[in-house]
Amino acid sequence: MMLRAFIAAALFAQAVTPRCDASNTASTNFQDIVVNAGPANNYINGAFTTVTVCVPGQSTCQTIDGVLVDTGSTGVRILANRLAGLALSPQTDASGGTMAECAQFADGFTWGPVVTADVRLGGEQASGIAIQSIGASAFSVPADCANTGTEEDTLTALGANGVLGVGPFAEDCGPACTFAGASNPGIYYTCRSGICTATTQALARQVQHPVRKFATDNNGVSIQLPSIAAGGAATVSGMIRFGIGTQGNNGLGSATVLTLDPAGNFTTIYAGQSYGSSYIDSGSNGIFFLDAATTSLPMCRVNTDFYCPLVPQTFAATNQGINGATSPVTFTVVSVDTLSNTINASSGVAGPNPGSFDWGLAFFYGRTVFTAIEGQSTPGGTGPYFAY
Amino acid sequence: MHLIVTCCNRSSARAGRFTRHAVVAAALACVSLATPASAFASLGGTPESVDADRLRSQGSLVAIVRTEAFTRHELRTATGTTIREYVSPGGTVFAVTWQGPWLPDLRQVLGSYFDEYERAVRTRTRRTRGVVQIAEPNFVVVTSGHQRSFSGRAFVPSLAPAGVRAEALR
Repeated sequence: MMLRAFIAAALFAQAVTPRCDASNTASTNFQDIVVNAGPANNYINGAFTTVTVCVPGQSTCQTIDGVLVDTGSTGVRILANRLAGLALSPQTDASGGTMAECAQFADGFTWGPVVTADVRLGGEQASGIAIQSIGASAFSVPADCANTGTEEDTLTALGANGVLGVGPFAEDCGPACTFAGASNPGIYYTCRSGICTATTQALARQVQHPVRKFATDNNGVSIQLPSIAAGGAATVSGMIRFGIGTQGNNGLGSATVLTLDPAGNFTTIYAGQSYGSSYIDSGSNGIFFLDAATTSLPMCRVNTDFYCPLVPQTFAATNQGINGATSPVTFTVVSVDTLSNTINASSGVAGPNPGSFDWGLAFFYGRTVFTAIEGQSTPGGTGPYFAY
Repeated sequence: MHLIVTCCNRSSARAGRFTRHAVVAAALACVSLATPASAFASLGGTPESVDADRLRSQGSLVAIVRTEAFTRHELRTATGTTIREYVSPGGTVFAVTWQGPWLPDLRQVLGSYFDEYERAVRTRTRRTRGVVQIAEPNFVVVTSGHQRSFSGRAFVPSLAPAGVRAEALR
């Protein structure tokens, strides 16, 4: 408790004191995360944290809790109704249209305007960056966007008040969105009179990795969660730290650096086979890998996204980066259907993912997992990489 | 059947995303000349619907692979995502897979199954993120990935040739 009081005091001091020369004043480069059922009370293995969003250059701020920590995406996205009362300017294009975004996720999309805000995490700030205001009612979902999946623009659908995307990419879309023509994936839209049409978006105007825009500690993040009992836990407390090897508390230590391909993936080797589209994603609940036929794991009857072995099953695999570095992993899969509803954290949650391994939050227990941002230099080399 | 692929030339593929409605309208007209009953849907549809997918995604047909059990049409969309559509000897698309940096138009590739997919996603018991596995009695779909890398597979067991399992399709 003493420590928490000290941290709170440090945060407060940071917020009200004009920043001194960053070279001799270390910022508070960490904050708490918690694994629980989340603000919609429907999550298993969701890691949530608090994000403070402010009107650029002002002290008018809103602190939003229940924001999902996600290494599988980039950028800050907050439900519009959690930003109510904050006069955040929507981004506009050269012809005066209001910019909106259809952000793609494997399980659906978030739709809403791009707004400019200061984002505070720990004692650090990303000033004047583009974030997404999810589900702002002035803009109806364009058909092109709706056709990519399920809308996740409410608390119930998203399961969170927002998403803190701290993945390996600097922007959410990247170069593809800067080109006009058929190759443009249609992520960014310009809206006039409620009609939105897909358009190009320069890198600097895309939704940004907030940590990359910090004054210091801006080359990546690490997420630390303790080991938990085999039977799972209701709540687990952990930490997200900003920067890799920039302060005394965020060094790589003995972690193995796995560099990534242009899609953000590495290779997982299992039973002599290489699966090249594998990745680490704190925003995935479990370890999603291969399929029922390959793993001999039965699917759950109730929670149909997951595996449900009759007794826990242990697997061994090896992760290999593009740099050739390898790191072995063993993990044990349990039946999600037999987990009580009071269990919100379990290292045994797993499900299918044909042809690859998605090392989701279940993988993070008992580890510190580093995510280095593309193009940023760290003591372990230049990002992008994952390390653990 | 595959002559239909050459019906519309590929000049439209670079016409630009932002005039897509006009391109699709032209494509529809073209397809309908060749196939009066052209189904503008993929999964559960006819091979002609494969071509509708190609046109709608402004992509190109990069391969047709025939096996004893099925014919696989491989499309590459203009955004760089690969879509593979599996056609039974009876002429029905019984499975679709996709992989690439961006999601395909799922309403197009899942056809009449899209609404069922969306409903199933919304009614799951516990919130999942990152991967979705839907196992309806007559429809199995799994989608996974992260920003800039997505993959998925949809499979209709009742339409599949005997002995073909979803796991065999990549």
